[in-house]
Amino acid sequence: MAAGTRSARSRVTLIFLLLTSATLLTLDARDFEPLGRTEEALVDFLSPLRDRLDDLFDPVGDGWAGFTGYDDLEDENQSLREQLQQLRGQQILESDAAARLEALLAQVGLPYVQDIPNVVAEVITANVGNFDRYSVQINRGSADGLRHGMPVVTRGGLVGRIDGDPQQGYARVTLITDPEFEVGVLVVGTDDVALAAGGGDGEPLRVQTGLEIDTAVEVGDQVVTSGLDRSRYPPGIPVGTVSELDVDDARLQQLLAVEPSANPSGLSFVTVLLYDPLAEQP
Amino acid sequence: MSSRGDYARSGLVVLTVLVLHLALFSDLRVLGIAPEVPLALAITAGLVGGSQRGAVAGFVIGLGIDLYLPTLLGLSAFIYAVWGYSVGLLQERIFRSAWWINTGVTALATVVGLLTYALFGELLGETNLYTDHLYSVMGVAAAYSLLLSLPMLWLWRWSWPSLRRQEP
Repeated sequence: MAAGTRSARSRVTLIFLLLTSATLLTLDARDFEPLGRTEEALVDFLSPLRDRLDDLFDPVGDGWAGFTGYDDLEDENQSLREQLQQLRGQQILESDAAARLEALLAQVGLPYVQDIPNVVAEVITANVGNFDRYSVQINRGSADGLRHGMPVVTRGGLVGRIDGDPQQGYARVTLITDPEFEVGVLVVGTDDVALAAGGGDGEPLRVQTGLEIDTAVEVGDQVVTSGLDRSRYPPGIPVGTVSELDVDDARLQQLLAVEPSANPSGLSFVTVLLYDPLAEQP
Repeated sequence: MSSRGDYARSGLVVLTVLVLHLALFSDLRVLGIAPEVPLALAITAGLVGGSQRGAVAGFVIGLGIDLYLPTLLGLSAFIYAVWGYSVGLLQERIFRSAWWINTGVTALATVVGLLTYALFGELLGETNLYTDHLYSVMGVAAAYSLLLSLPMLWLWRWSWPSLRRQEP
């Protein structure tokens, strides 16, 4: 009898909790503002404790990463040494390439992005769970002027965008590798605006629409953000380099694989461009 | 009956383990995969406290971790409450409380919990949950749950001493 009552009570509790979860899911899906503010307040309440523990356990995390990734680190070291040798030899060519990119951007009427106000942020957690591998958290938020959709770059180029409404001192960045990530791009020297999408971990970006079959594109061409048609990204941010070319005969379009110019894995610091496309409209 | 002390201790356990997960465990990755500490904590709550406590603890833990995930708020709370309840129900009706059974059940429930999380999330329109990566996550997370289940079971027994007094 007592067991039956207990069982009925726990069933009622479960139903109540599931209904509460379903309500929260619905409200969050509809971007219910008070819920977002409550979330933010809770995270802010916990953040001092979390920050202190982060500082305390950072050496443990670093030690673990060194221990579990020792072989990878050795391989990476070797590969970096080889790259350094090559880069020393190509230094002059590389500086010329940067100037060439700037000149090409000027030629097609695209400004260089360095004049846009920006905020430098530190990547504080790569990710908390196992299903958010295409996002990172940074230590700047709404208090620093960050807003949803702002582009995030490194010296190499575009690495992602601010995702969702940032909290006061934190923001989430969706990385360029996310298959859901889309950005309007231009192959420097052409007029076709194409759409590039993330290709997944360690994979190049894919350009599958927008590039006519007769547009002259070659492997090695630079790809930058187009900044056209109310794009959330300013024009001229380097996105990557064309690494593969293919043709879709049915749609008479070219398909490109674009190797990102900025490495989105192992980020430590990033720059958020405080760019508001609506404010840029005349 | 739950005492005020039970609530206070279990609240402390949930808060401490969540913050530890954010600051430490999420960095202890093998093959790029972190332990699913919050899910394992919800499952062990069910194993120690039964279906009702398992459901409530699962809901609270899930809500706590939802604050830090890019997925919809309430998704983890929903799944963890279901698994806290289900494991608790099985424990009340079927299992013996041998440590090795509890450990094995935690690992197995972690696998099934992750699968339901991914499927339910995809059903709600979340992306990148049900991918090939999921199977690696299930394997590594289950191994971690095997290791972490015993300290977690101990933590729950410590936080709910009133349960021991109720035993015949």
